[in-house]
Amino acid sequence: MPRAATTSDVFNAIAEPQRRRILSLLREREHTVGAISHSLGLAQPTTSKHLKVLKEVGLVDVETHGRQRLYRLDARGLREVHEWTGGFERFWEGTFDRLETYARDLERKEREDGTTPHSPRP
Amino acid sequence: MEQRRTALDREIVLERLIEAPRRFVFEAFTKPEHLSNWWGPDGFTTTTTAFDFRAGGEWIFTMHGPDGTDYPNWMRWEEIVPPERIVATHGDRPDDPEAFTSVFTFSEEAGATRITLRTIFPSVEARDRAVSEYHAVEGGQQTLGRLAAFAIGLSKEV
Repeated sequence: MPRAATTSDVFNAIAEPQRRRILSLLREREHTVGAISHSLGLAQPTTSKHLKVLKEVGLVDVETHGRQRLYRLDARGLREVHEWTGGFERFWEGTFDRLETYARDLERKEREDGTTPHSPRP
Repeated sequence: MEQRRTALDREIVLERLIEAPRRFVFEAFTKPEHLSNWWGPDGFTTTTTAFDFRAGGEWIFTMHGPDGTDYPNWMRWEEIVPPERIVATHGDRPDDPEAFTSVFTFSEEAGATRITLRTIFPSVEARDRAVSEYHAVEGGQQTLGRLAAFAIGLSKEV
């Protein structure tokens, strides 16, 4: 199977360092292609190509003001990446599941034995 | 806009309702023979080398991942208030510069226990690194770690 096209998902789109620089720049405020090219020292066609990819995966949108096209960050598209990488939360989710099972075991044991495993009842 | 550098950027707060009375949930933290039964996500086991459950005491242990990877762990209990609160410093060794503070609070809620874990990292970078590393521990994948830190930074703006 051919690998996923660059334009098909957010992960591929932000894997490219220049596109990450563009997103960081757009974080401050919206810019024209010309301004982005100038700020990052890229040729305008290169910038346009990157913006097209970012637009296709929904990370930027464009607003037309007269003859000016302003590109703006839409960071909602990054939520997918954020969630995918939520390892910390998943780590603790699994741990808390096990803690719950174990605490209930302790409670059951006390009921069965009629004794407290550690500290005496208040 | 420059990203704010407040403590909030260095924190992760998780909350969970556990269907068991508070003293048992707290009890589960107090002995290595308890902890070995539940610490770590599914598929992980824990071997304890040293354990001293009092303020200033340490817990030195190794977590064994499902793929056979060993993760050295070190914890110092900073504050223990049974059955309400535990504060610990957690790293991979005693002088770990990336060690973070974990604050567990336990509150009673109609026979169940609400556990809150507030983790405070020494820097935003350490926080982002921990997020990707926990992902690595959990999923065994590291390649997107840098992207992860980047995406988390950006998505905070939403």
